Amino acid sequence: MADPYPPGQPNAAAERVIRIQDLHLSFGSNHVIRGFSLDLHRGENVMVLGRSGSGKSVLIKCIVRLLRPDSGRIEVLGQDMLALDQDALDHLRVKIGFLFQSSALYDSMTVQENLEFPLRRHWIATTPGEADALVGEVLAAVGLSETRDLYPSELSGGMKRRIGLARTLILKPEIVLYDEPTTGLDPITGKEIVELILDLQRRYNTSSIIISHDLHVAKLAANRIAVLHGGRNYLEGTYEELRRSEDELMKRFFVFM
Amino acid sequence: MAGKGGSGFRSALTEVGEIAEFTDRFFRNAFHARFEWRELIRQCTVNGALTLPLVGVTAFIMGLVLTVQSRPTLARFGAESMLPAMVAISMVREIAPVITALICAGKIGSSMGAELGSMRVTEQIDAMEVSGTNPFRYLAVTRIWSTILMLPVLVVFADGISIWASWIGVNLRDTVSWELFYRQVFDSLEYSDLIPAFIKSFFFGLAIGVVGCYKGFTTKKGTEGVGRSAHSAVVTASLLIFILDLLVVQITDLLGFT
Repeated sequence: MADPYPPGQPNAAAERVIRIQDLHLSFGSNHVIRGFSLDLHRGENVMVLGRSGSGKSVLIKCIVRLLRPDSGRIEVLGQDMLALDQDALDHLRVKIGFLFQSSALYDSMTVQENLEFPLRRHWIATTPGEADALVGEVLAAVGLSETRDLYPSELSGGMKRRIGLARTLILKPEIVLYDEPTTGLDPITGKEIVELILDLQRRYNTSSIIISHDLHVAKLAANRIAVLHGGRNYLEGTYEELRRSEDELMKRFFVFM
Repeated sequence: MAGKGGSGFRSALTEVGEIAEFTDRFFRNAFHARFEWRELIRQCTVNGALTLPLVGVTAFIMGLVLTVQSRPTLARFGAESMLPAMVAISMVREIAPVITALICAGKIGSSMGAELGSMRVTEQIDAMEVSGTNPFRYLAVTRIWSTILMLPVLVVFADGISIWASWIGVNLRDTVSWELFYRQVFDSLEYSDLIPAFIKSFFFGLAIGVVGCYKGFTTKKGTEGVGRSAHSAVVTASLLIFILDLLVVQITDLLGFT
Protein backbone atom coordinates (compact mmCIF):
# COMPACT_ATOMS: atom_id res chain seq x y z
CA MET A 1 0.00 0.00 0.00
CA ALA A 2 1.43 3.40 -0.98
CA ASP A 3 2.23 5.84 1.78
CA PRO A 4 -0.62 8.40 1.67
CA TYR A 5 1.57 11.05 3.08
CA PRO A 6 5.28 10.50 2.56
CA PRO A 7 7.82 12.31 4.72
CA GLY A 8 8.90 15.74 3.57
CA GLN A 9 5.60 16.65 1.96
CA PRO A 10 3.56 18.84 4.29
CA ASN A 11 -0.10 18.77 3.37
CA ALA A 12 -1.75 21.89 4.69
CA ALA A 13 -4.84 21.22 2.56
CA ALA A 14 -5.75 18.15 4.60
CA GLU A 15 -8.28 18.41 7.40
CA ARG A 16 -6.83 19.78 10.61
CA VAL A 17 -7.26 17.30 13.47
CA ILE A 18 -5.34 19.11 16.21
CA ARG A 19 -4.84 22.83 16.64
CA ILE A 20 -2.79 24.18 19.55
CA GLN A 21 -2.71 27.94 19.91
CA ASP A 22 -0.52 30.04 22.18
CA LEU A 23 -0.25 27.47 24.96
CA HIS A 24 1.17 28.52 28.32
CA LEU A 25 1.82 26.34 31.34
CA SER A 26 3.82 26.96 34.50
CA PHE A 27 4.57 24.86 37.56
CA GLY A 28 5.02 27.51 40.22
CA SER A 29 7.77 29.79 38.99
CA ASN A 30 8.90 27.31 36.35
CA HIS A 31 7.39 28.48 33.04
CA VAL A 32 7.52 25.27 31.01
CA ILE A 33 5.44 26.24 27.98
CA ARG A 34 5.48 29.91 27.03
CA GLY A 35 3.32 30.29 23.96
CA PHE A 36 3.54 27.15 21.81
CA SER A 37 1.35 26.62 18.75
CA LEU A 38 1.03 23.63 16.45
CA ASP A 39 -1.34 22.19 13.84
CA LEU A 40 -1.67 18.50 12.97
CA HIS A 41 -3.41 17.52 9.74
CA ARG A 42 -5.08 14.22 8.93
CA GLY A 43 -2.61 11.53 7.92
CA GLU A 44 0.36 13.59 9.05
CA ASN A 45 3.19 12.64 11.43
CA VAL A 46 4.47 15.70 13.24
CA MET A 47 7.41 15.36 15.53
CA VAL A 48 8.01 17.73 18.40
CA LEU A 49 11.74 17.84 18.89
CA GLY A 50 13.37 19.30 21.95
CA ARG A 51 16.02 18.77 24.55
CA SER A 52 15.31 16.76 27.69
CA GLY A 53 13.25 18.84 30.09
CA SER A 54 12.08 21.22 27.39
CA GLY A 55 8.41 20.45 28.11
CA LYS A 56 7.63 18.03 25.27
CA SER A 57 5.88 15.46 27.47
CA VAL A 58 4.04 18.25 29.28
CA LEU A 59 2.81 19.46 25.90
CA ILE A 60 1.20 16.15 24.88
CA LYS A 61 -0.26 15.67 28.33
CA CYS A 62 -1.98 19.04 27.80
CA ILE A 63 -3.41 17.79 24.49
CA VAL A 64 -5.27 14.95 26.23
CA ARG A 65 -5.95 17.17 29.26
CA LEU A 66 -3.92 15.13 31.70
CA LEU A 67 -2.56 18.57 32.48
CA ARG A 68 -4.53 21.78 32.19
CA PRO A 69 -2.66 24.69 30.59
CA ASP A 70 -2.74 28.13 32.20
CA SER A 71 -3.89 29.68 28.96
CA GLY A 72 -4.17 28.98 25.25
CA ARG A 73 -6.48 26.84 23.15
CA ILE A 74 -6.41 23.16 22.19
CA GLU A 75 -8.81 21.88 19.56
CA VAL A 76 -8.99 18.17 18.83
CA LEU A 77 -11.20 16.94 15.99
CA GLY A 78 -12.95 20.31 16.07
CA GLN A 79 -13.71 20.24 19.81
CA ASP A 80 -12.31 22.60 22.39
CA MET A 81 -10.53 20.20 24.78
CA LEU A 82 -10.43 22.69 27.61
CA ALA A 83 -14.17 23.35 27.55
CA LEU A 84 -15.43 19.74 27.51
CA ASP A 85 -17.17 18.25 30.54
CA GLN A 86 -15.83 14.95 31.94
CA ASP A 87 -18.17 12.65 29.99
CA ALA A 88 -17.59 14.45 26.68
CA LEU A 89 -13.85 14.42 27.35
CA ASP A 90 -13.86 10.66 28.04
CA HIS A 91 -15.81 10.15 24.81
CA LEU A 92 -13.31 12.19 22.78
CA ARG A 93 -10.31 10.53 24.42
CA VAL A 94 -11.35 7.23 22.85
CA LYS A 95 -10.41 8.78 19.49
CA ILE A 96 -6.95 9.72 20.75
CA GLY A 97 -4.40 7.02 21.40
CA PHE A 98 -1.50 7.72 23.74
CA LEU A 99 1.67 5.66 23.92
CA PHE A 100 3.47 6.37 27.18
CA GLN A 101 7.23 6.43 27.44
CA SER A 102 6.96 3.79 30.18
CA SER A 103 4.26 1.89 28.19
CA ALA A 104 2.13 2.14 31.38
CA LEU A 105 0.74 -1.40 31.07
CA TYR A 106 -1.52 -2.48 33.95
CA ASP A 107 0.91 -4.68 35.83
CA SER A 108 -1.72 -6.72 37.66
CA MET A 109 -3.26 -7.84 34.35
CA THR A 110 -2.03 -10.20 31.63
CA VAL A 111 -1.42 -8.91 28.12
CA GLN A 112 -4.84 -10.24 27.09
CA GLU A 113 -6.53 -8.44 30.00
CA ASN A 114 -4.59 -5.25 29.29
CA LEU A 115 -5.92 -5.26 25.73
CA GLU A 116 -9.45 -6.29 26.68
CA PHE A 117 -9.72 -3.59 29.34
CA PRO A 118 -10.43 -0.63 26.99
CA LEU A 119 -12.76 -2.82 24.89
CA ARG A 120 -14.85 -3.76 27.94
CA ARG A 121 -14.87 -0.20 29.21
CA HIS A 122 -16.33 1.13 25.97
CA TRP A 123 -18.62 -1.80 25.15
CA ILE A 124 -16.76 -2.36 21.90
CA ALA A 125 -16.62 -6.10 22.39
CA THR A 126 -19.68 -7.44 24.15
CA THR A 127 -18.83 -11.14 24.00
CA PRO A 128 -15.58 -12.93 24.92
CA GLY A 129 -15.34 -14.17 21.34
CA GLU A 130 -15.42 -10.65 19.90
CA ALA A 131 -12.86 -9.42 22.41
CA ASP A 132 -10.63 -12.39 21.65
CA ALA A 133 -10.75 -11.67 17.92
CA LEU A 134 -9.89 -7.97 18.36
CA VAL A 135 -7.06 -8.77 20.78
CA GLY A 136 -5.74 -11.36 18.33
CA GLU A 137 -5.84 -8.81 15.51
CA VAL A 138 -3.80 -6.13 17.29
CA LEU A 139 -1.37 -8.64 18.77
CA ALA A 140 -0.73 -9.98 15.28
CA ALA A 141 -0.27 -6.41 14.03
CA VAL A 142 2.50 -5.79 16.58
CA GLY A 143 3.95 -9.28 16.06
CA LEU A 144 3.39 -10.60 19.59
CA SER A 145 0.56 -13.10 19.24
CA GLU A 146 2.21 -15.53 21.64
CA THR A 147 2.26 -13.16 24.63
CA ARG A 148 -1.46 -13.22 25.56
CA ASP A 149 -0.99 -14.92 28.92
CA LEU A 150 2.16 -13.13 30.00
CA TYR A 151 2.28 -10.38 32.62
CA PRO A 152 4.04 -7.07 31.83
CA SER A 153 6.86 -8.00 34.22
CA GLU A 154 7.64 -10.96 31.94
CA LEU A 155 8.11 -8.76 28.85
CA SER A 156 11.23 -6.97 27.59
CA GLY A 157 11.26 -3.19 27.12
CA GLY A 158 10.65 -3.46 23.37
CA MET A 159 7.80 -5.96 23.88
CA LYS A 160 6.17 -3.68 26.46
CA ARG A 161 6.33 -0.81 23.98
CA ARG A 162 4.69 -3.00 21.32
CA ILE A 163 1.93 -4.13 23.68
CA GLY A 164 1.44 -0.50 24.71
CA LEU A 165 1.05 0.32 21.03
CA ALA A 166 -1.42 -2.55 20.59
CA ARG A 167 -3.48 -1.30 23.54
CA THR A 168 -3.44 2.19 22.04
CA LEU A 169 -4.63 0.94 18.67
CA ILE A 170 -7.29 -1.49 19.85
CA LEU A 171 -9.82 1.33 20.13
CA LYS A 172 -8.98 2.39 16.54
CA PRO A 173 -8.08 5.98 17.38
CA GLU A 174 -7.92 8.71 14.72
CA ILE A 175 -4.95 10.38 16.38
CA VAL A 176 -2.02 8.79 18.20
CA LEU A 177 0.34 10.69 20.51
CA TYR A 178 3.70 9.05 21.10
CA ASP A 179 5.75 10.07 24.11
CA GLU A 180 9.39 9.19 23.41
CA PRO A 181 8.56 5.90 21.65
CA THR A 182 12.18 4.76 21.32
CA THR A 183 13.71 6.05 24.53
CA GLY A 184 15.46 3.35 26.54
CA LEU A 185 15.51 0.89 23.63
CA ASP A 186 18.55 -0.33 21.73
CA PRO A 187 18.92 1.13 18.19
CA ILE A 188 17.67 -2.04 16.47
CA THR A 189 14.53 -2.33 18.63
CA GLY A 190 14.04 1.44 18.35
CA LYS A 191 14.10 1.20 14.55
CA GLU A 192 11.67 -1.72 14.66
CA ILE A 193 9.30 0.34 16.81
CA VAL A 194 9.46 3.27 14.36
CA GLU A 195 8.79 0.94 11.42
CA LEU A 196 5.92 -0.56 13.36
CA ILE A 197 4.51 2.92 14.05
CA LEU A 198 4.64 3.73 10.31
CA ASP A 199 3.14 0.39 9.36
CA LEU A 200 0.30 0.79 11.87
CA GLN A 201 -0.27 4.37 10.77
CA ARG A 202 -0.84 3.16 7.22
CA ARG A 203 -2.98 0.24 8.35
CA TYR A 204 -5.17 2.21 10.77
CA ASN A 205 -4.96 5.57 8.96
CA THR A 206 -3.98 7.58 12.00
CA SER A 207 -2.44 11.03 12.41
CA SER A 208 0.36 11.36 14.95
CA ILE A 209 2.33 13.67 17.13
CA ILE A 210 5.63 12.11 18.13
CA ILE A 211 7.53 13.56 21.04
CA SER A 212 11.21 12.74 20.92
CA HIS A 213 14.76 13.98 20.94
CA ASP A 214 15.82 11.10 18.70
CA LEU A 215 16.72 12.33 15.23
CA HIS A 216 16.59 8.80 13.82
CA VAL A 217 12.89 8.79 14.64
CA ALA A 218 12.61 12.21 13.00
CA LYS A 219 14.31 11.00 9.86
CA LEU A 220 12.24 7.85 9.53
CA ALA A 221 8.83 8.94 10.70
CA ALA A 222 8.26 12.68 10.67
CA ASN A 223 6.65 14.57 7.82
CA ARG A 224 7.32 17.77 9.69
CA ILE A 225 9.33 18.67 12.77
CA ALA A 226 8.47 21.42 15.24
CA VAL A 227 11.33 22.33 17.53
CA LEU A 228 10.29 23.24 21.07
CA HIS A 229 12.90 25.32 22.82
CA GLY A 230 12.53 27.66 25.77
CA GLY A 231 8.86 26.71 25.89
CA ARG A 232 8.21 28.28 22.48
CA ASN A 233 8.17 27.35 18.79
CA TYR A 234 11.80 27.63 17.81
CA LEU A 235 11.96 26.28 14.28
CA GLU A 236 9.77 24.18 12.02
CA GLY A 237 10.52 22.24 8.87
CA THR A 238 11.21 18.88 7.35
CA TYR A 239 14.09 16.74 8.53
CA GLU A 240 16.23 17.86 5.58
CA GLU A 241 15.42 21.54 6.11
CA LEU A 242 16.44 21.36 9.75
CA ARG A 243 19.54 19.32 8.95
CA ARG A 244 20.69 22.01 6.55
CA SER A 245 19.83 24.83 8.93
CA GLU A 246 22.62 27.17 9.99
CA ASP A 247 21.00 27.62 13.39
CA GLU A 248 23.41 26.84 16.25
CA LEU A 249 20.92 24.74 18.22
CA MET A 250 20.11 22.67 15.14
CA LYS A 251 23.79 22.15 14.41
CA ARG A 252 24.20 20.83 17.95
CA PHE A 253 21.23 18.52 17.49
CA PHE A 254 22.59 17.11 14.24
CA VAL A 255 26.18 16.84 15.39
CA PHE A 256 26.11 13.01 15.51
CA MET A 257 23.96 12.53 12.42
CA MET B 1 11.95 26.15 64.14
CA ALA B 2 8.80 28.25 64.27
CA GLY B 3 8.89 28.49 60.51
CA LYS B 4 9.15 24.71 60.15
CA GLY B 5 6.35 24.15 62.66
CA GLY B 6 4.19 26.71 60.86
CA SER B 7 4.72 25.12 57.48
CA GLY B 8 4.03 21.65 58.95
CA PHE B 9 0.77 22.91 60.41
CA ARG B 10 -0.13 24.57 57.11
CA SER B 11 0.58 21.39 55.14
CA ALA B 12 -1.48 19.35 57.64
CA LEU B 13 -4.38 21.76 57.18
CA THR B 14 -3.96 21.59 53.40
CA GLU B 15 -4.11 17.81 53.58
CA VAL B 16 -7.27 17.93 55.69
CA GLY B 17 -8.81 20.20 53.04
CA GLU B 18 -7.72 17.91 50.22
CA ILE B 19 -9.10 14.82 51.97
CA ALA B 20 -12.41 16.68 52.47
CA GLU B 21 -12.39 17.58 48.77
CA PHE B 22 -11.62 13.95 47.85
CA THR B 23 -14.55 12.81 50.04
CA ASP B 24 -16.83 15.33 48.33
CA ARG B 25 -15.65 14.04 44.95
CA PHE B 26 -16.45 10.50 46.08
CA PHE B 27 -20.04 11.43 47.00
CA ARG B 28 -20.49 13.27 43.68
CA ASN B 29 -19.39 10.13 41.80
CA ALA B 30 -20.73 7.47 44.19
CA PHE B 31 -24.12 7.13 42.53
CA HIS B 32 -23.08 7.60 38.91
CA ALA B 33 -25.39 5.91 36.42
CA ARG B 34 -22.64 3.74 34.99
CA PHE B 35 -21.53 2.00 38.13
CA GLU B 36 -18.56 -0.37 38.16
CA TRP B 37 -20.34 -3.39 39.69
CA ARG B 38 -17.76 -5.92 38.58
CA GLU B 39 -14.89 -3.99 40.11
CA LEU B 40 -16.94 -3.37 43.28
CA ILE B 41 -17.51 -7.10 43.74
CA ARG B 42 -13.81 -7.77 43.19
CA GLN B 43 -12.88 -5.14 45.74
CA CYS B 44 -15.44 -6.45 48.26
CA THR B 45 -13.84 -9.88 47.90
CA VAL B 46 -10.33 -8.50 48.37
CA ASN B 47 -11.17 -6.08 51.18
CA GLY B 48 -13.89 -8.12 52.84
CA ALA B 49 -13.63 -11.87 52.37
CA LEU B 50 -9.84 -11.96 52.30
CA THR B 51 -9.65 -9.87 55.49
CA LEU B 52 -11.92 -12.25 57.43
CA PRO B 53 -9.13 -14.57 58.67
CA LEU B 54 -7.04 -11.70 60.05
CA VAL B 55 -10.05 -10.06 61.71
CA GLY B 56 -11.21 -13.44 63.02
CA VAL B 57 -7.86 -14.33 64.63
CA THR B 58 -7.55 -10.87 66.21
CA ALA B 59 -11.14 -10.90 67.50
CA PHE B 60 -10.62 -14.39 68.95
CA ILE B 61 -7.51 -13.28 70.83
CA MET B 62 -9.17 -10.06 72.04
CA GLY B 63 -12.26 -11.91 73.31
CA LEU B 64 -10.19 -14.58 75.05
CA VAL B 65 -7.68 -12.18 76.62
CA LEU B 66 -10.36 -9.74 77.78
CA THR B 67 -12.24 -12.60 79.45
CA VAL B 68 -9.20 -14.13 81.12
CA GLN B 69 -7.89 -10.77 82.35
CA SER B 70 -11.24 -9.41 83.56
CA ARG B 71 -12.23 -12.49 85.52
CA PRO B 72 -9.98 -11.91 88.60
CA THR B 73 -11.22 -8.33 89.03
CA LEU B 74 -14.86 -9.33 88.71
CA ALA B 75 -14.26 -12.30 91.03
CA ARG B 76 -12.90 -9.90 93.68
CA PHE B 77 -16.33 -8.20 93.73
CA GLY B 78 -18.23 -11.46 93.44
CA ALA B 79 -19.45 -10.45 90.01
CA GLU B 80 -18.08 -13.28 87.87
CA SER B 81 -21.55 -13.90 86.52
CA MET B 82 -21.34 -10.47 84.86
CA LEU B 83 -18.42 -11.61 82.73
CA PRO B 84 -20.39 -12.52 79.56
CA ALA B 85 -22.29 -9.24 79.68
CA MET B 86 -19.19 -7.18 80.32
CA VAL B 87 -17.21 -8.80 77.51
CA ALA B 88 -20.13 -8.58 75.08
CA ILE B 89 -20.87 -4.92 75.76
CA SER B 90 -17.18 -3.93 75.63
CA MET B 91 -16.59 -5.84 72.42
CA VAL B 92 -19.77 -4.81 70.62
CA ARG B 93 -19.76 -1.15 71.61
CA GLU B 94 -16.10 -0.29 71.31
CA ILE B 95 -13.38 -2.88 71.04
CA ALA B 96 -14.52 -4.86 67.99
CA PRO B 97 -15.36 -1.81 65.82
CA VAL B 98 -12.18 0.07 66.68
CA ILE B 99 -9.81 -2.91 66.55
CA THR B 100 -11.37 -4.15 63.28
CA ALA B 101 -11.10 -0.67 61.80
CA LEU B 102 -7.46 -0.37 62.86
CA ILE B 103 -6.65 -3.77 61.37
CA CYS B 104 -8.36 -2.74 58.14
CA ALA B 105 -6.52 0.59 58.16
CA GLY B 106 -3.31 -1.42 58.34
CA LYS B 107 -4.17 -4.08 55.80
CA ILE B 108 -6.56 -2.39 53.36
CA GLY B 109 -5.45 1.23 53.75
CA SER B 110 -1.79 0.45 53.18
CA SER B 111 -2.51 -1.86 50.25
CA MET B 112 -4.71 0.80 48.60
CA GLY B 113 -2.06 3.46 49.16
CA ALA B 114 0.67 1.25 47.76
CA GLU B 115 -1.32 -0.20 44.83
CA LEU B 116 -2.78 3.09 43.63
CA GLY B 117 0.46 4.91 44.40
CA SER B 118 2.37 2.46 42.28
CA MET B 119 -0.20 2.86 39.49
CA ARG B 120 0.17 6.64 39.78
CA VAL B 121 3.97 6.74 39.53
CA THR B 122 4.08 4.24 36.67
CA GLU B 123 1.47 6.29 34.73
CA GLN B 124 -1.10 3.46 34.80
CA ILE B 125 -3.73 5.84 36.17
CA ASP B 126 -2.90 8.32 33.40
CA ALA B 127 -3.13 5.51 30.84
CA MET B 128 -6.57 4.63 32.13
CA GLU B 129 -7.65 8.25 31.97
CA VAL B 130 -6.46 8.86 28.40
CA SER B 131 -8.22 5.71 27.22
CA GLY B 132 -11.50 7.33 28.24
CA THR B 133 -11.98 5.47 31.53
CA ASN B 134 -12.57 7.68 34.53
CA PRO B 135 -9.95 6.33 37.00
CA PHE B 136 -11.62 8.00 39.96
CA ARG B 137 -14.88 6.14 39.33
CA TYR B 138 -13.18 2.89 38.41
CA LEU B 139 -10.46 2.76 41.06
CA ALA B 140 -11.43 5.06 43.93
CA VAL B 141 -15.24 4.91 44.07
CA THR B 142 -15.32 1.11 43.98
CA ARG B 143 -12.62 0.79 46.64
CA ILE B 144 -14.28 3.31 48.96
CA TRP B 145 -17.69 1.64 48.53
CA SER B 146 -16.12 -1.73 49.27
CA THR B 147 -14.69 -0.54 52.61
CA ILE B 148 -17.94 1.22 53.53
CA LEU B 149 -19.90 -1.98 52.88
CA MET B 150 -17.39 -4.48 54.23
CA LEU B 151 -16.40 -2.81 57.50
CA PRO B 152 -19.80 -3.40 59.18
CA VAL B 153 -19.72 -7.02 58.00
CA LEU B 154 -16.23 -7.48 59.43
CA VAL B 155 -17.25 -5.80 62.69
CA VAL B 156 -20.27 -8.12 63.11
CA PHE B 157 -18.00 -11.08 62.34
CA ALA B 158 -15.48 -9.84 64.94
CA ASP B 159 -18.30 -9.43 67.48
CA GLY B 160 -19.38 -13.03 66.95
CA ILE B 161 -15.87 -14.50 67.08
CA SER B 162 -14.89 -12.50 70.18
CA ILE B 163 -18.01 -13.60 72.06
CA TRP B 164 -17.34 -17.21 71.12
CA ALA B 165 -13.71 -16.78 72.28
CA SER B 166 -14.99 -15.30 75.51
CA TRP B 167 -17.10 -18.43 76.10
CA ILE B 168 -13.94 -20.53 75.54
CA GLY B 169 -12.13 -18.23 78.01
CA VAL B 170 -14.83 -18.76 80.63
CA ASN B 171 -14.65 -22.52 80.09
CA LEU B 172 -10.91 -22.59 80.72
CA ARG B 173 -11.72 -22.51 84.46
CA ASP B 174 -15.45 -23.17 84.75
CA THR B 175 -17.98 -25.11 82.79
CA VAL B 176 -20.64 -22.93 81.25
CA SER B 177 -22.85 -24.16 78.47
CA TRP B 178 -22.94 -22.20 75.21
CA GLU B 179 -26.71 -21.77 75.53
CA LEU B 180 -26.42 -20.16 78.97
CA PHE B 181 -23.52 -17.97 77.92
CA TYR B 182 -25.29 -16.95 74.71
CA ARG B 183 -28.48 -16.08 76.66
CA GLN B 184 -26.54 -13.99 79.17
CA VAL B 185 -24.81 -12.12 76.33
CA PHE B 186 -28.01 -11.32 74.46
CA ASP B 187 -29.94 -10.43 77.61
CA SER B 188 -27.32 -7.79 78.32
CA LEU B 189 -27.14 -6.32 74.83
CA GLU B 190 -29.59 -3.65 73.69
CA TYR B 191 -30.19 -1.90 70.41
CA SER B 192 -28.48 1.15 71.89
CA ASP B 193 -25.30 -0.95 72.06
CA LEU B 194 -25.58 -2.28 68.54
CA ILE B 195 -26.78 0.71 66.50
CA PRO B 196 -24.03 3.26 67.30
CA ALA B 197 -21.37 0.59 66.78
CA PHE B 198 -22.92 -0.37 63.47
CA ILE B 199 -23.20 3.26 62.36
CA LYS B 200 -19.64 4.12 63.25
CA SER B 201 -18.29 1.13 61.35
CA PHE B 202 -19.68 2.68 58.14
CA PHE B 203 -17.78 5.87 58.92
CA PHE B 204 -14.63 3.91 59.70
CA GLY B 205 -14.98 2.20 56.32
CA LEU B 206 -15.40 5.56 54.61
CA ALA B 207 -12.30 6.94 56.36
CA ILE B 208 -10.14 3.93 55.44
CA GLY B 209 -11.26 3.94 51.80
CA VAL B 210 -10.98 7.69 51.31
CA VAL B 211 -7.58 8.02 52.97
CA GLY B 212 -6.13 4.94 51.19
CA CYS B 213 -7.32 6.14 47.79
CA TYR B 214 -6.38 9.77 48.42
CA LYS B 215 -2.85 8.79 49.43
CA GLY B 216 -2.53 6.53 46.38
CA PHE B 217 -3.89 9.07 43.92
CA THR B 218 -1.63 11.85 45.20
CA THR B 219 1.58 9.80 45.30
CA LYS B 220 4.67 11.60 44.05
CA LYS B 221 8.40 10.94 43.87
CA GLY B 222 8.56 7.37 42.56
CA THR B 223 8.98 4.26 44.64
CA GLU B 224 9.94 6.23 47.74
CA GLY B 225 6.61 8.04 47.41
CA VAL B 226 4.76 4.71 47.15
CA GLY B 227 6.20 3.58 50.49
CA ARG B 228 5.35 6.93 52.04
CA SER B 229 1.78 6.73 50.72
CA ALA B 230 1.32 3.25 52.17
CA HIS B 231 2.46 4.13 55.66
CA SER B 232 0.85 7.57 55.79
CA ALA B 233 -2.44 5.97 54.68
CA VAL B 234 -2.26 3.75 57.79
CA VAL B 235 -1.27 6.57 60.13
CA THR B 236 -3.86 9.05 58.84
CA ALA B 237 -6.68 6.50 58.68
CA SER B 238 -5.89 5.26 62.23
CA LEU B 239 -5.94 8.80 63.55
CA LEU B 240 -9.21 9.50 61.72
CA ILE B 241 -10.73 6.34 63.22
CA PHE B 242 -10.07 7.59 66.75
CA ILE B 243 -11.39 11.08 65.91
CA LEU B 244 -14.52 9.61 64.32
CA ASP B 245 -14.96 7.26 67.28
CA LEU B 246 -14.89 10.24 69.61
CA LEU B 247 -17.36 12.19 67.46
CA VAL B 248 -19.79 9.30 66.96
CA VAL B 249 -19.78 8.50 70.69
CA GLN B 250 -20.59 12.14 71.48
CA ILE B 251 -23.32 12.36 68.84
CA THR B 252 -24.97 9.04 69.73
CA ASP B 253 -24.76 10.05 73.40
CA LEU B 254 -26.60 13.27 72.58
CA LEU B 255 -29.16 11.29 70.60
CA GLY B 256 -29.82 9.09 73.62
CA PHE B 257 -28.02 5.91 72.60
CA THR B 258 -26.35 5.48 75.97
